[in-house]
Amino acid sequence: MSDWQVKYKSSLKDRGTEGILKLREGMLLFVPNDPTSDSKLKVLTPNIKSQKYTKEGSKKPAWLNLSNKQGDSHIFEFQNYQDMHACRALITKALAKCEEEQPKKPAAVLTSAEQLSIADLELRFKRLHKEFVETKVLTEDEFWATRKKLLGKDSIRKSKQQVGLKSMMVSGIKPSTDGRTNRVTFNLTSEIIFQIFAEKPAVRQAFINYVPSKMTEKDFWTKYFRAEYLYSTKNTAVAAAEAAEDEELAVFLKPDEILAQEARQKIRRVDPTLDMEADQGDDYTHLMDHGIQRDGTMDVVEPQNGQFRRSLLQDLNRHAAVVLEGRNIDVDSENTRSVAEALARVKQVSKADGETTKDANQERLARMSRLAEMEDLQAPQNFPLAPLSIKDPRDYFESQQGNVVNEPRGAGTLKRNVHEAYGSLKESILEIRTKGLRDPLIKPEVAFEVFRSLTQTISTAKNIIGKNPRESFLDRLPKSTRDEVLHVGKLKDAMSNSYSQLEAMKESVQSELRHQLSLLVRPMQQALDAAFQHYDADLQRRTAKSARGSAGEANGSV
Amino acid sequence: MPQVKIIAKNFMDMVASLTAIKLDKLYNNVFICEAILRSLPPLAKKYVLQLLFIDDPVPCTRIEEWVLPDGLSKHRVAIDRLIQLRIFTETVDRREGTCFSLNPTFQNNLQKHIISGGVLPREPMNSSNGIKLPSLQELETYALQQWECFLLQLINSGQGEKLTGISSSMMKVFQRGLLSQRDRDGPRLTESGFQFLLMDTNAQLWYIIREYISNAEERDVDPADLISFLLELSFHVTGEAYNLNTLTDVQRTTLKDLADLGLVKLQQGRKDSWFIPTKLATNLSVSLADSSVRKEGYVMMETNFRMYAYSTSKLQCEILRLFARIEYQLPNLIACAVTKESLYNAFDNGITSDQIITFLQQNSHPRCADRVPSIPENVTDQIRLWESDLKRIEMTQAHFYDEFPSKDVFEGACNFARQWGGLLWEDSKRMRLVVKSEVHNQMREYLHTQGN
Amino acid sequence: MATVASKLYSDDVSLLVLLLDTNPLFWSNRSTTFSQFLSHVLAFLNAVLGLNQLNRVVVIATGYCSCDYIYDSSLTLSGNSESGRTGMPALFGSLLEKLEDFIDKDEELIKEQEHDERIASSLLSGSLSMALCYIQRIFRSGHLHPQPRILCLQGSPDGPEQYVAVMNSIFSAQRLMVPIDSCYIGTQNSAFLQQASYITGGVHHAPKQLDGLFQFLTTIFATDLHTRSFVQLPKPVGVDFRASCFCHKKTIDMGYVCSVCLSIFCEHHKKCSTCGSVFGQSKLDGASTVSDKKRKAPDS
Repeated sequence: MSDWQVKYKSSLKDRGTEGILKLREGMLLFVPNDPTSDSKLKVLTPNIKSQKYTKEGSKKPAWLNLSNKQGDSHIFEFQNYQDMHACRALITKALAKCEEEQPKKPAAVLTSAEQLSIADLELRFKRLHKEFVETKVLTEDEFWATRKKLLGKDSIRKSKQQVGLKSMMVSGIKPSTDGRTNRVTFNLTSEIIFQIFAEKPAVRQAFINYVPSKMTEKDFWTKYFRAEYLYSTKNTAVAAAEAAEDEELAVFLKPDEILAQEARQKIRRVDPTLDMEADQGDDYTHLMDHGIQRDGTMDVVEPQNGQFRRSLLQDLNRHAAVVLEGRNIDVDSENTRSVAEALARVKQVSKADGETTKDANQERLARMSRLAEMEDLQAPQNFPLAPLSIKDPRDYFESQQGNVVNEPRGAGTLKRNVHEAYGSLKESILEIRTKGLRDPLIKPEVAFEVFRSLTQTISTAKNIIGKNPRESFLDRLPKSTRDEVLHVGKLKDAMSNSYSQLEAMKESVQSELRHQLSLLVRPMQQALDAAFQHYDADLQRRTAKSARGSAGEANGSV
Repeated sequence: MPQVKIIAKNFMDMVASLTAIKLDKLYNNVFICEAILRSLPPLAKKYVLQLLFIDDPVPCTRIEEWVLPDGLSKHRVAIDRLIQLRIFTETVDRREGTCFSLNPTFQNNLQKHIISGGVLPREPMNSSNGIKLPSLQELETYALQQWECFLLQLINSGQGEKLTGISSSMMKVFQRGLLSQRDRDGPRLTESGFQFLLMDTNAQLWYIIREYISNAEERDVDPADLISFLLELSFHVTGEAYNLNTLTDVQRTTLKDLADLGLVKLQQGRKDSWFIPTKLATNLSVSLADSSVRKEGYVMMETNFRMYAYSTSKLQCEILRLFARIEYQLPNLIACAVTKESLYNAFDNGITSDQIITFLQQNSHPRCADRVPSIPENVTDQIRLWESDLKRIEMTQAHFYDEFPSKDVFEGACNFARQWGGLLWEDSKRMRLVVKSEVHNQMREYLHTQGN
Repeated sequence: MATVASKLYSDDVSLLVLLLDTNPLFWSNRSTTFSQFLSHVLAFLNAVLGLNQLNRVVVIATGYCSCDYIYDSSLTLSGNSESGRTGMPALFGSLLEKLEDFIDKDEELIKEQEHDERIASSLLSGSLSMALCYIQRIFRSGHLHPQPRILCLQGSPDGPEQYVAVMNSIFSAQRLMVPIDSCYIGTQNSAFLQQASYITGGVHHAPKQLDGLFQFLTTIFATDLHTRSFVQLPKPVGVDFRASCFCHKKTIDMGYVCSVCLSIFCEHHKKCSTCGSVFGQSKLDGASTVSDKKRKAPDS
């Protein structure tokens, strides 16, 4: 049905295997480019539980994450979003089809195995077998292998659902005030801490660095929220002043270095074939956050302290990214530090991944740009003119001559003869100089013979071309036709002869007998008349045809 | 130039009209064979070459086989000419039909010529003997000068001072046909005379030579000898000196005439005298062929009927004077005007408008010749109109009859005149009629019988 | 060419440029001697000159290493008297003398050339070029000139290494509307001459009996251009259109053609040696090389 060039990842961290994703009836097949690779994959469409995919605008590559009912997820990195969307649409369609089919056999699906009678099971299995094997989707072996695998998995089936993140933004954590004092309180849960760490690697890094060597966890968070508070007051001047005093506090206020680095890396990975034109028209680029602060008030631009401001868009994006990434660590502990470290580890790994795939990435980019060339992104195509390299024709021909010299011609024996040959040539000239031309120059018989043979060739050539005017019309007809015509002509002559003979016969007899004779003769005459008529019509047709034929022949020969 | 061809053919006709014995005698001379070969139409040349080394008769069909349908008429002309000149001998073979073979004498000579190469008719004199030869250029100017001199004298022998040594009787011979003797104002150029002037030098030369040859018998000279000598002369090398001693007496006297025509230059040394052939002589065999050498034109005609001729030649000036009024003459330019009077003069002399126009077209300056038409249309039209003006009235000598006794006699006379085709005009009311003079005698006799 | 045509004589006046093959290697192993051959040729030249006073003949000797003018009828017309004494007419005398000089020079040249592995062909390209140069000079000088044609009297086999030069000459002749007649007296077939005559509208003929050479020459090749318009001349049954490759000078009937300059190669190259164009690798390399090649087979 459809094939796509994809990269298959068993998990997010997986570097991926390049291969071809095929969507066949009822199943997805992944065939790696490298035949030795063992990451061959087969997913039955009805087994697909959900599909996740990266959004087109995000900085991530076009990933399609399919998770099946067993809880395994398969990530396919497509070359572009188009492919991915196409694939996704097809899968959705296939899924819908499966769902339609499902109601037909609700018992089979909904009831558990033990509730089914053995006969039912067998029937169902047979049907499956029929469906797959006989339609040649699977071979016999594959079918049973899959069955075996499924049976094995059945026993350990246990949903391992990932816990998602709240969609509330970290910056949305509003402090609660008691109303009397100036004191503000932030309520911190491990969930929030995780989110903060995930969204702000700089904070995480700072936590790892400072806690507990420099300060307690409590101090850290107090400082963090103080910085956050300063942000929310939009008092950049105060923020700047405090940052100057307290370098730990400054860490939180400064733009996140680690994030920026990651962003840079991602930018590098952006598909260069992306058409940027739409963004340009949107006219957002020159406006800083459209001038809207995160609490909806208009921003007053204070350029001198710009570095202490964070943009709403940045925050939003970061948050979205973290939500999408999901909670990909298994550390459930309440220990903040271990959470931070685990997160840092994950990042480290993916970063290392990025490093190693750099080369591959580069290659991919190059290939992509080759495959999907866009005119406006191309380097100018006008190649420099290469003038003919024949500068001096003499040189050129001499070099060509030189090539030949190297070719053995097996004419070595000639060399010895050359001088003899020159000698004989000169002798010949001397001979003719002293004796004059041979007299007689040419024997009359030879001359006659030559002339005769030449004339012969001329005349035969003429006849082949058929331009000889003396040639009659008959001669130009094919031989068989000519014979026929000649034959018919003879016949006609004979017929007219007999016609006149009959007439003569009529004349010769006496008047009283003439009537009787004419009665006798009439049928014969009638027959002859008919023959003549036929002959005339035939001749007309024939001449018309041959005239046409000869005209065509003439055209052909020109 | 169709006229040229007529003249050249006339000459060949003359050769062809020689008796068989004389022709065979002619063919004894290698150079005549060669010259005749050159004079043949291209196809005939090819036939001669093809059969040159073949002794047996060759069927005509086999020769014809080579000719494309378009060339059949040319083939017939070529064969006719070859038979006329007795180069081809026709035999009829029972099997092959008409066969041709080359005249053996002709064939032998031509074979010899081709094998031995262009052997010169006679050895040129050794140039070391203190002979000062003129350069080729000098020789050419000499030849042209002589020739123009001769032509001038030919045209207006009346007033022209005697420049050449040609006897007046000989001159008369040349002028025969070209000039017409009129009672009142001396000789005038005839139509053919004007045609003659229009021809290129070689054709003119051949015309004169033809006259010279046809006149030969009156001078007790064998025309065949003369032809062979002239043709031989054309194979001499231009600019080389040849001793007169090698010639016969007849040839020597001929040579003197030829020197007057500019064909040869005679020079006298201390011991012996010699002649130097000019280009005119060596070109003799060229003009025999159909190929004509075109000269560069010199006339420019303007729409205002003025004509400029870039020429220094007195002869050309004379030619122009035939139909134009010469206004003034610069060293290399003749300015003239074509007027009604000058043209009437020309028409009076029997020159037609077409002749004048073709002359102008053929001799128009290269710059003008590129244009179409080379002569302005208003000029050509006007020349034709003036000519037709003259042709509006036709004079017929006639006799006038009147005073018929009765209507019957008058009508009888009219019928008689009509029968003889001489009735020009009749007036039945007054009974008068006009009859051509030719019929006058018969008319008179008829009227006499009627009167009786 | 209108200006050229208008400058021609109206009739059969012709300029014949004869390219005479004087390759010693060819003449050394031939039953007909060179002197016999020369007899026929000289007689033929004489006949051509005899046909019309204005006819001109130029002879160019085509040697093994060089070529040169050995006779020009317009130059030797004045004749040198000393040749008369030896019993030879002026035409042949000067021609033979020049020919002898030429052969001496040619022999000198072959001594200089140490490599002697060349095929025993004559320098046809050189003499063709010289003939065309001469004709070009005729075209440009004077207001009237004879109709030129070239006649190649060739016996040596083709030198495939001259392919480019010969073809260039042929096309030049075609442009000048000068027919190249060819009379091939060798044993093999000359693709060059066949093509030359075919392209320029000349006559190609390979006489079978050399003792009747004169008859062949006069019957076929003495026909002037004017006469050819109404005379049928023998036509070859087929023309050998094979080309030589530019790289090894082999005669090939299938090869690679540069898409830029149409150079011909017998094998695949990365770069065209003539124009320097870089060829892309054939996508289906090896699988279908045959279909990529352009066939140039003898036409029959």
